[in-house]
Amino acid sequence: MTSIQFFVLALTLYLVGALLSLFVSPRTLRLGSGQASRGVAAFFGLLASVSGVIAVILALTADAIPTLTLFSLPPFGEFALQMDLLSALMVGIICLVGVATSLYSFTDAPANVSVSFFTDLFMASMLVVVTITNAFYFLIFWELMTLASYFLVVWEFDKKESAKTGFVYFLVAHIGAALIMVTFFLFFGKAGTFDFAGIRAAGLSPVMKDIAFVLAFLGFGAKAGMVPLHFWTPDTYAAAPNHISALMASVMKKTAVYGILRFCVDLLGGSVLWWGFVVLTFGVLSAVFGAFYALSEKDIKRLLAFSSVENVGIILMGVGLGMVGLALPNSTLAVLGFLAALYHMLNHAFFKGLLFLGAGSAITATGTRDLNQMGGLSRRMPWTALTFLVGALAVTAIPPLNGFVSEWFTYQALLNAAGSDLFALRVFAPLFAVLLAMAGAFAVMVYVKAYGGAFAGPAHSKDAAFAQDPSISSVISLVYLAVGAIVLGVGAPWIAPRIASVAADFANQPLIAVSAGWTMYPGNPLVSIVSTPLTALLILGLLTVPLLVVSAYGGWRASRRSNMEPWSNGYGYAPVMSVRASSFDQPVKVSFQPLYWIRSIVERPYRAITNFYTAAIEAVRGAEPFVENTVTRPTLNVVETAGRWIQSLQMGDIRLYCLYIIITLAILLIVLFGGSGL
Amino acid sequence: MNPFWLIGIGILQAILLLLLAPLYSGFARVMRAKMHSRTGPPLMQNYRDIAKLMTRQEVVSEQAGWIFRVTPYLNLGCMFLAAMIIPALTTASPLEAAGDLILIVYLFALPRFFFAVAGLESGSTLAGIGARRELLVSALVEPILLLVIFVMALLAGTTNLGRISTEVATGAFPYSLAYLLGLAAFAFAAYIEMGKLPFDLGEAEQEVQEGPLAEYSGRSLAILKWSIYLKQLVLVALFLALFIPFGAMAQLSLIGFVIAIVVFPLKSVLWYFVAAVLENAMARNRFMSAPAIVWMALGLALLSFVFYLANV
Repeated sequence: MTSIQFFVLALTLYLVGALLSLFVSPRTLRLGSGQASRGVAAFFGLLASVSGVIAVILALTADAIPTLTLFSLPPFGEFALQMDLLSALMVGIICLVGVATSLYSFTDAPANVSVSFFTDLFMASMLVVVTITNAFYFLIFWELMTLASYFLVVWEFDKKESAKTGFVYFLVAHIGAALIMVTFFLFFGKAGTFDFAGIRAAGLSPVMKDIAFVLAFLGFGAKAGMVPLHFWTPDTYAAAPNHISALMASVMKKTAVYGILRFCVDLLGGSVLWWGFVVLTFGVLSAVFGAFYALSEKDIKRLLAFSSVENVGIILMGVGLGMVGLALPNSTLAVLGFLAALYHMLNHAFFKGLLFLGAGSAITATGTRDLNQMGGLSRRMPWTALTFLVGALAVTAIPPLNGFVSEWFTYQALLNAAGSDLFALRVFAPLFAVLLAMAGAFAVMVYVKAYGGAFAGPAHSKDAAFAQDPSISSVISLVYLAVGAIVLGVGAPWIAPRIASVAADFANQPLIAVSAGWTMYPGNPLVSIVSTPLTALLILGLLTVPLLVVSAYGGWRASRRSNMEPWSNGYGYAPVMSVRASSFDQPVKVSFQPLYWIRSIVERPYRAITNFYTAAIEAVRGAEPFVENTVTRPTLNVVETAGRWIQSLQMGDIRLYCLYIIITLAILLIVLFGGSGL
Repeated sequence: MNPFWLIGIGILQAILLLLLAPLYSGFARVMRAKMHSRTGPPLMQNYRDIAKLMTRQEVVSEQAGWIFRVTPYLNLGCMFLAAMIIPALTTASPLEAAGDLILIVYLFALPRFFFAVAGLESGSTLAGIGARRELLVSALVEPILLLVIFVMALLAGTTNLGRISTEVATGAFPYSLAYLLGLAAFAFAAYIEMGKLPFDLGEAEQEVQEGPLAEYSGRSLAILKWSIYLKQLVLVALFLALFIPFGAMAQLSLIGFVIAIVVFPLKSVLWYFVAAVLENAMARNRFMSAPAIVWMALGLALLSFVFYLANV
């Protein structure tokens, strides 16, 4: 079978899984009545993801670009799926994470028909989004992806909070989609076609290109969750089922970055200098504020959501640097920047998927998302704790794990940019590097807090004291992602050149050498050289040698008494004395008081207004980023009536709107296939 | 230079640093005692402490898990690795292939992460507070280190520590005002990281950066203490390698080796001497006033960067 056949097989399996999951469960809609649906969706999802991974492996080794043209409809253009290197990498990211979430959802997804149905539909729509070669169909499947994820977010539709959250997500996603749509009409007006090839050749005027860039960047940026359009992410991820939070953070965000790459760089040429600067600046802001906000969260899923904002920032920094490299032009910088961005996309998919699934297990086991109510889980849930630790070390860019590799390439791209002749770059590249270092240092605090709060110390609640590791399939999925994070880090000298060739192919630049043997370097070994496998070996060696000496000399537990309580100034010890998650970040809150002070000033008039809306007040929480408070909440009130209407839709039979979608799809397919004369 | 010999020298210098580290800390303690007009401990007291603790019974809190147990060894191992990479006796990095300056900065985060988690894992209040303080100080210091490293890397055209060191030692490097200010900022940052007054008093437990030590005892405490001594010396070695690598071997030769093995300890003793004088000239400060002082170091680093831009 060829690559594209495996890809179509993956799509088909997802759709079959989605449809079957609708009909295998009993007709009641009580929670827990959908075990069969869950199993079917997970099983077909797993098969589909594996098939997708095979397709990617074949595509990366294929001589020609795997393409499949299904039909052509005159006004809209060709419906064709294509796996060039960039799309293949995206499919790889989606399916590699898909393997893990499918495994995880066998036992740990909600046993719910609609969740099962929409999970597989969501995956299938993302696969089409990253391979389609026509702007019109791109938008249709982009919309399908948004809708599927919306229904997943509001799965607990009987909860008031859930409906509100879903509505904010719905609103932001559609404002973003509207901006993207305007971009497409700009393209269409000039090129007369929606096909990517036609748009690429169209030659828009510089002003039109600038407008198209700004619209597309904001539209995709909102979906990617960059600062200041990030405010919908924490609540949305917290409301969604655990495996869906993992998918949304580690995969769906990447489709938005793919959109930026495809539309702003590939289709528009990306050769304008200030575009790169804009992307770079938004990236830096997201990285710093994401890390900073993450630190003040005590809800583990919101903490991870803000951390995703940080990581999208790091990815956008790479994209921005690559665009600057294209504009200068400096092919080394272009390839380095895109290499850093693409590598970090792959890395983030692994470790953030791992962290969300691990957090999900902890949430399932303790029944709370509050880090203050967990504690001590490492003794009860050793597998979850160990894999979460690997994810935490990876996301904080600690060598030799994978997060370090992509951040190292980001630093090298920044260094390359700082050495250019352009004064603005010479000024800002080093300063941005400092901000990246700051974000990295905050990230260490964030994850010490997350791991320490959930897994270390004494148990802070009864549920935490009796927590259990999840089922074997979920543990396998966690271990699989953790091993992936290690392999992508330690194996970087062998993986980086492959991603560099994707970056060079996509940016249409000559390939630069990034590794030789065991070592990596940014194009030129004289500039810098680093070897993660060697570092890994040395750390392991330097760790085992003293441990061996110790075990020879009295043993691991020699003369050790471990039944003691921690010292507490001579008083009797109680678990409440330990430092909990919410007191952990106190020094930061004090030393960065100006930022909080600014926020409280900004919030003051807003608070005066909201006093009139008692209904809205209960939703206002103290530690929210001000964008959420000043932008979203007032909008919420305006659209509350519309929200009620949506809610009434949700109250109906869940199959009803499943049916809507199927009917729409069926009509669409009939029309489309009818048009192609099949 | 022959890479095989270089690795040998790397291991040798790491062992040298490991063995010297408690001595230097002891020297700092003696200095402090003398300036207080006290007799003070003997110079070799730290070695005795370590030897005695090694044989002592260990008492571990019942909350503590495997991270708590592994942390001392991991700390020592990571510092030993850093001591192998940083050029101390040679101007080239003995383990060039392992990593550059950015890797070293991020490598320090690994033991710090475990140290802080170990503090939380013990369940003790004091250890937990120590953990969060330790992390805040590093979060403030890391950007300064990185900015200075970037300025040095831009001046030298590489982030390879050995290459920068060689350029500075041979005079191929532009000794500008940016270099001098970078030197001052990096010294300031290293001084803070070493856990000295006004931020810390490394000798008393439950103090700022050694807070997570509160629950350690016996052999684990000995190894952890040793690794903290080593960390201080590694930071000094990093500073010397970047800014004052004079006297280190450029070519492999017996005379060069003899000179290097004499000069390096002298340079580092000088650092400890200056640090001890500074430390005793300062009052203890509240921990929360630390950021204000750290911004000063960041200001120095920024100034260095501005002078680099202005090409002064």
